[in-house]
Amino acid sequence: MSKQINFTIDGRSVECQSGESILDVARREGFYIPTMCYLAKATPNASCRMCVVEVEGVDGLVLSCNTPAIEGASITTESDILYKERQNIMKLYNVNHPLQCGVCDKSGECDLQNKTTEFDLAEQTFATQEQKRKKKKWGVLSYDPYLCIMCEKCTSVCNEVVGSEALYIKPGGYKSVIDNHFGDCIQCGECISVCPVGAMASSDFKYNSNAWELQKVPSACAHCSSACNLEYEVKHSGIDSSGSSEIYRVTNEDDFDSLCGAGRFGYDYENRVAIKDEKAFNSAVEAFKNADTIKFNSMITNEEALILQRLKDKNGYRLVNEEARNYQNFMNSYSSVSGTSLYSGDLQAIKDSDYVITLGSSVSRDNPMIRFALATAVNINRANVAYLHPIEDYKLENLVTQFIRYEVGSEEGVMAMLLEAFASDEAKEEQKAFFSELDMGYISGESNVNEDEIKNLKSKMLRKKSPVIVIGADVMAHPSSSNIAKMVALLEKSSEFKVVIIPTNTNTLGVSMICDLDSEEGSSVVGYNVHAATTLCALGDGDLDMPALNQQEGTFTSIDKRVVPLNAALPHAGYELNDIAIALGVESEETINYTSELPTSKGFKSVEFDSLENYYTNGGEAIRGYLLDNKKIKTKKADEAISNITELEDYNGSVIYSVDHISQFNTFTNKTHQIIDKANLIGSEQFAMAAKIKGGQKVKFMFNGKEITRVFNLDSHLKGTVARHSTFDLHDSTSSGKYRYTKVQIQEEGN
Amino acid sequence: MSVENNRNVGQQDYYMVDIEDYPESNWDQFKQVVKRTFSTELFVGLWVVLREMLKFNIHTVKYPEEKLPLGPRYRAIHEMLRLMESGTERCIGCGLCEKICISDCIRMETKIDENSRKEVSEYSINFGRCIFCGYCAEVCPELAIVHGGRYENVSEQRAHYSMFDDLLTPMDTFKAGQQKEFPGFGAIIPGSDESVKKTPLAY
Ligand code: SF4
Ligand code: SF4
Ligand code: SF4
Ligand code: SF4
Ligand code: SF4
Ligand code: FES
Repeated sequence: MSKQINFTIDGRSVECQSGESILDVARREGFYIPTMCYLAKATPNASCRMCVVEVEGVDGLVLSCNTPAIEGASITTESDILYKERQNIMKLYNVNHPLQCGVCDKSGECDLQNKTTEFDLAEQTFATQEQKRKKKKWGVLSYDPYLCIMCEKCTSVCNEVVGSEALYIKPGGYKSVIDNHFGDCIQCGECISVCPVGAMASSDFKYNSNAWELQKVPSACAHCSSACNLEYEVKHSGIDSSGSSEIYRVTNEDDFDSLCGAGRFGYDYENRVAIKDEKAFNSAVEAFKNADTIKFNSMITNEEALILQRLKDKNGYRLVNEEARNYQNFMNSYSSVSGTSLYSGDLQAIKDSDYVITLGSSVSRDNPMIRFALATAVNINRANVAYLHPIEDYKLENLVTQFIRYEVGSEEGVMAMLLEAFASDEAKEEQKAFFSELDMGYISGESNVNEDEIKNLKSKMLRKKSPVIVIGADVMAHPSSSNIAKMVALLEKSSEFKVVIIPTNTNTLGVSMICDLDSEEGSSVVGYNVHAATTLCALGDGDLDMPALNQQEGTFTSIDKRVVPLNAALPHAGYELNDIAIALGVESEETINYTSELPTSKGFKSVEFDSLENYYTNGGEAIRGYLLDNKKIKTKKADEAISNITELEDYNGSVIYSVDHISQFNTFTNKTHQIIDKANLIGSEQFAMAAKIKGGQKVKFMFNGKEITRVFNLDSHLKGTVARHSTFDLHDSTSSGKYRYTKVQIQEEGN
Repeated sequence: MSVENNRNVGQQDYYMVDIEDYPESNWDQFKQVVKRTFSTELFVGLWVVLREMLKFNIHTVKYPEEKLPLGPRYRAIHEMLRLMESGTERCIGCGLCEKICISDCIRMETKIDENSRKEVSEYSINFGRCIFCGYCAEVCPELAIVHGGRYENVSEQRAHYSMFDDLLTPMDTFKAGQQKEFPGFGAIIPGSDESVKKTPLAY
């Protein structure tokens, strides 16, 4: 176990856990040690030697980034010798470095530039024969080998943090360059964010603006429930913009945190309106007065959810959001057994885990940060990752140790198998009725999961200390979701497992805790971001334009059970939900006045929006908003009982799975100019054969009651008879709350 | 004064003006008033005017036929200079002038051009807002933007703009060797050549 260690840095005594590096401790304690290759979120590359320190009694200099602190050591971070050493390193970095700071995208925030100045290098006295190298463009990435200092930060982030293993070093001494196995690259842009110089740059941003001209607006990504911390970088638009501004790029605190491609490149989804459209507003208010139902999705802030709830309290609207209601029901069933309002795990728990099971989620597409967390778990903790799903995800092949394929619809049975394998004997005693009825042979037959596979899975658990199970969206909309929820809770209660239940959409968790949701629509419906007779929409295609999530202040409730603030990067000239609420008699001057009124009974705190913090400490701890209180829930014996496994509906024939592309996963990302993936249907040879269609062909089928036309693409990596069907361009699919697998009759277009 | 620090690039024939001490006490002030009232000082001035008129030595500048020479640090309408060797624009699109401008009248757009170089695609200065403070010329790392001598910029509207091409030295002027190196505000100091340290260029 880690034990406390005391030592001194520059004469001041400090404490840390054993195993922590000198650099980490020094930074946390506020000492400055310069580095060029260190990336806090990955293992040290130890390639720059800038981080050298002196340790009393040790000959020579010590690399602080990969040397653990030891009891009683006395460290010096600044001395003439260290200065000379570091200055020499900077001299070498500057050899043949192009003199193009004037145009370089990195200028103003470049580590090489900063440290060249810091170490007072006014001139360069030597050079070497330059090698011919080629600039490369890999989609969103542009790589300039002349600027590259070979610090290897990009390769380590790509391998360890993203888990793509796309970037690698093409060795050759002084000729070494970075190269990309482009097929493995998920275009997340993490490598751009960690590059200390201008070598790995954004293709889109290239030469578009300069660091010193951009204003940073800290906020939260609005595309999935991870609600990652990001900064919108904003400047006035072109020369004839008359006051309007735009987002030029998104950056983040790359030393400690990450963004996926959707967050980094999918930022320009704002809803631009010129003026307040009074007519549209009045008719929207009129529509609200006549309506009995508000239908909406979970791409809204906590404050908006509260406004909707207040409208319900006052005017008796039904609030319909099936996707959030599924999640709410799931959590209620979960709580009835666990006795807690929230699940126990979070992204950090996955990162720290050495044994992860994911069930019912295409994690790299549903919530990319889970994939990133898995990568950290695998690369740092050598975690065993089991991916339980009907479709194998080859984009996860580096990370998944064991793929267990189950039949579509058999999630309940699979969960029962897991419970049987991992639950303690006491738990089995407690739920005797359920366990005695369990027919493993039957379940195994129906789900097509071999009992040996589960045995194998269990055997890997040996000596593992911090297992986590991740439950995804497939399960929320399953007919037996309530029973599955209870099993998940029982597993959590009766084993070491921590649980993460992925909120399906950006603010599903918030909405499910704030709104009292109804199942049935009434006769007259207004939609918010969902099509209805009258629609308020942030996409610009409704009856009244609403601000998009990059134009709003408010908060989200993230997968980490954290209430995080978002700030408006761009102004919105039109109306917002609060204006409607005021017109309907639910009055509060600003939307953010609701932040402190979020229901404390559900674990929210009465904190003002303006006092929510959003920064990282030197040690890398994110101080963002606040954590929800995990409330104790009184459980009733009667609710606790797990019912027997229901018989499976079978999913024969052509089945499609609603899942999106890696960075393209909702109507908002679809609006952005850098994310260009097209909606399609992707299936295996086997699927094509069964449906009698060919790759590249246009096909049509019924989906959610509408006929859809898609291009069918063959993917040789895929197996089985379930095809992947993108829904990001279908306006209302996110909130439909339907089970994600659909049986379809596929026809060639034109028949 | 070392050559680096001598920033006075104009003519330096200044001289001190001989001015009487100001009265300090009330009594002194009273004496001054009495002296001025009863002396014939007034006629001295009138005589000077009359004398100069008779000599036809008129100092009034007959603008616009006649214009005064400008000091080298005079700051009027900007110019964008070209590189002496190649004739291409000096401006690299660093945006510092746009950033530093305190009356927020410079706007520019840059992009990557077909040769993968940074290109200034749009550039404008709103001379209705510009207060000719010279910050842009001073901050420019390329000695690209400078203040020229054209101070006649009346317009019918308060906002009036010059674009990049309006400011850039015309090619024929440039070819005729007429582009003047800027000597004033924000220009490099005399002796800069000697203080430049070379970077070895083995590539
Ligand atoms: S990478 Fe840094 S040092 Fe190199 S040209 Fe760009 S800004 Fe200058
Ligand atoms: S974009 Fe992401 S996946 Fe692609 S090379 Fe960079 S870090 Fe790796
Ligand atoms: S591209 Fe950037 S991050 Fe990668 S090795 Fe070169 S300098 Fe380092
Ligand atoms: S993981 Fe989710 S929240 Fe984070 S950047 Fe990607 S889309 Fe945004
Ligand atoms: S400061 Fe000079 S080089 Fe930079 S944009 Fe302005 S004119 Fe161009
Ligand atoms: S930070 Fe330690 S070697 Fe680079």
